[in-house]
Amino acid sequence: MVVAPLGASRRLPQLVASAKRSVLAVAFFLILASAALIASFLTHDFGLSYVAQHSSRAMPWYYTTSAFYGGQEGSLLYWALMLSIFSALFVFTARRAPTVLVPYTIATLMGIETFLLIVLATVSSPFVRLPVPLADGVGLNPLLMDPGMLIHPPMLLMGYMSFSVPFALAVAAMITGKLDSDWLRSIRRWMLAAWSIQTLGLVLGAWWAYHVLGWGGYWGWDPVENAALLPWLTATAFLHSAMVQERRGMLKVWNLSLVIASFALSIFGTFEVRSGIINSVHSFAYSSIGAYFLAFLCIVILSSIALFIFRLPKLRPEQEFDSVISREGSFLLNNLLLVGITFATLWGTLFPLISDAVRHQTLTVGPPFYNQVDGPIFIALILVMGIGPLLAWRRTSTRVLRRNLGIPALAAAICAAVLPLLGIRDVWANIAFAVCSFTACAILYEMWRGVRVRHRHGESYPVALYMLFERYRQRYGGYLVHLGLVMLAVGIIGSHFFQVQQDAVLKPGQEMNVAGYKLVYFGNINRTYPDVEILTAQLQVWHDGQLQQFIYPGRQLYTSFADQPTSLISITTSNLTDLYVFLADWKGVSQATIRVFVNPLVPLVWFGGIVMLLGGIICWWPPRRKRSVAPTGLEAIQVPEPVGVVSSGGGTFVSTSLDIVDLTGDNKEGAQ
Amino acid sequence: MSKRQSLLLFLGIVAVISSIWLYALLVSPSRQTLDQRAHDVASQLKCLVCQGESVADSPSMLSLQMRGIIRQQLQSGKSEQEVIQYFVSRYGDRILLSPPMQGLALLAWIFPIALMISGALLVFFVLRSWQLHAGKEPDDADKADSANIDEQELAYYQQQIEQELAAEDPIFSQPGSEVE
Repeated sequence: MVVAPLGASRRLPQLVASAKRSVLAVAFFLILASAALIASFLTHDFGLSYVAQHSSRAMPWYYTTSAFYGGQEGSLLYWALMLSIFSALFVFTARRAPTVLVPYTIATLMGIETFLLIVLATVSSPFVRLPVPLADGVGLNPLLMDPGMLIHPPMLLMGYMSFSVPFALAVAAMITGKLDSDWLRSIRRWMLAAWSIQTLGLVLGAWWAYHVLGWGGYWGWDPVENAALLPWLTATAFLHSAMVQERRGMLKVWNLSLVIASFALSIFGTFEVRSGIINSVHSFAYSSIGAYFLAFLCIVILSSIALFIFRLPKLRPEQEFDSVISREGSFLLNNLLLVGITFATLWGTLFPLISDAVRHQTLTVGPPFYNQVDGPIFIALILVMGIGPLLAWRRTSTRVLRRNLGIPALAAAICAAVLPLLGIRDVWANIAFAVCSFTACAILYEMWRGVRVRHRHGESYPVALYMLFERYRQRYGGYLVHLGLVMLAVGIIGSHFFQVQQDAVLKPGQEMNVAGYKLVYFGNINRTYPDVEILTAQLQVWHDGQLQQFIYPGRQLYTSFADQPTSLISITTSNLTDLYVFLADWKGVSQATIRVFVNPLVPLVWFGGIVMLLGGIICWWPPRRKRSVAPTGLEAIQVPEPVGVVSSGGGTFVSTSLDIVDLTGDNKEGAQ
Repeated sequence: MSKRQSLLLFLGIVAVISSIWLYALLVSPSRQTLDQRAHDVASQLKCLVCQGESVADSPSMLSLQMRGIIRQQLQSGKSEQEVIQYFVSRYGDRILLSPPMQGLALLAWIFPIALMISGALLVFFVLRSWQLHAGKEPDDADKADSANIDEQELAYYQQQIEQELAAEDPIFSQPGSEVE
């Protein structure tokens, strides 16, 4: 199946067709295999070792189904399945991708698939039978029995895998040397899809951690979290620098390296999780197949480098650079910052290994490190995000720039002046909030200008806003992603700087006071079910002298995992502030150790995540079919091109009609 | 607004903001409660019996005791740094949640920062060399270009753009929509 598309490259269309069909066949068989595994889960076939270890009779059907990817072997099968489905999707949409590239892309995808299948078939098969079937299974790790867990791991694994299509396209492009705008368009779309899936996976992961783990936070800079973040960062960098290549034909080498880095980092992430070389809360996925992934990672990196060297002469930029103060310049800065975060995070993740190897010194690189190194870079990134879109391609006149920056700068100044007066004393928090208000205002102002221009031409405001998003998806979808990121950042800043934590051991009738909240403890309630024992504490919440409600933070003790009580955390949200109550310990029915967090602005993290995802989908959504109003025949095929005329060949027009480019130009530029 | 005026305005705003910040910092210096200070210290120490949790977050017995010691020591007048030093002298560097700023571990901090700085320099030089490579003053080039261009040709191109934009988005099909 791998050889067929390779043979196809020797100009035999029949072979290409057979390769495409074999991709579909692989997908079909993997779907069959997965269906078989799910079926054996649902029929409680405890003769299968994997089923016996990861499910039990008492589990509800949805957790039984999700146990499919709850362990090492199953998640690999899931991974292979996703890859084959993506490959099949690629084959279905292959007529949109440049034809020369298709066979090589398929070859690369199938090469990755082969690796997974070899691992699945030899060392890590989910279909190993036990000599004697068990009467009942062990059950799923209770941490995984949570609604968030139903979709967080599949999303993240799918995200990891979805980076393989852009990677395959990049490899194909390096083999054929065909890196034109068609290639860029199809790789951008696939990368955008991967990015959206990964965003969803990350946000869901944070949500799960927040609702299940009980330490009051959503992101702990755990090695595995870092591993999931890394490809996301490089993918984000790629999506930006790809625009420079699209418009100006520059940065080809750089873009290819970002695509390869994204894929390599996602393989590295898997390796890290599976091999258990680094301690992590995700260690339940630990196993011995790490070595295979390490070998695979080396192959990927070495062959990419080899191809790179082979192709380097073809990757010359087409156009020259004009000015540092231009959108290209801001994209470069954006890339530098994103890659900087990527590197610092990777370095921090690996540093304990290095220090252990060199000095036999066990060090921890924990949240304080990442907060201090990544935090400022992140704030700088948000600042660039506000300025960048206001700059024109090639170069921006200072007059226009000053006019565009005026209002956002004013917003930042107001924010910087008002917040300290409202009692926010932390300098870093003030700077961060000011930057966020700058960028949010810049984005909203930019949208408002677009809407206003359209409104002047007779569209009502809502219609104008809709039309902007409808017609210029990439541009306004991008703004929406930025806006979501700012919301997320405000949430992170709020909860990072202003989280209040308090512990108390309470007897019935006793109360505790935290940041304006008063909690009165009544006692514990114990309920026993066949497979689980649930213990909850009953508390009254008072806020500003008013009774708000009763809350029941508690613990679940699964009989088969008695040493791992999972927590039922009570989260009450009002005014964008979470009251997060966690039952840390208890004695009988009349004593509880309660840990309370007051987390300001955390809900913004989830809203921001949703907005980002929405923006990503808008960017990705296929452009509507062109109506054939074209005056000339050629135009129907190449509609996006005139934009290229305006922006790249447009140097001639910039000086003659500067204002056109400034005002309505906002709309024109966004067309592709 | 002239350049001078806008500069003055800018300076004025900066002065107002910085005076507010100074006021905020000087008049009400950080009145952190003992709880907050203890939490700050505890969140920089690693819980030795758990998986990647800080002493502040961990529910374990050991962490509970350590939080008690931190409170005691802070109450007796020690600074945050001194309390951390106390734990380092007893348990070694492995108690720290972020690498110490000395010895080999300093590398953990310096390397990413150095790389960022060299990256910034690289970007700067690449940009500059591109700009130099472009050779000519762009403004002159554009002027020359626009001087050379044929009026008729320009009109033709503009018309074509209009047409294609109109096909893309009906709002451009209205006459005169280009002129703001």
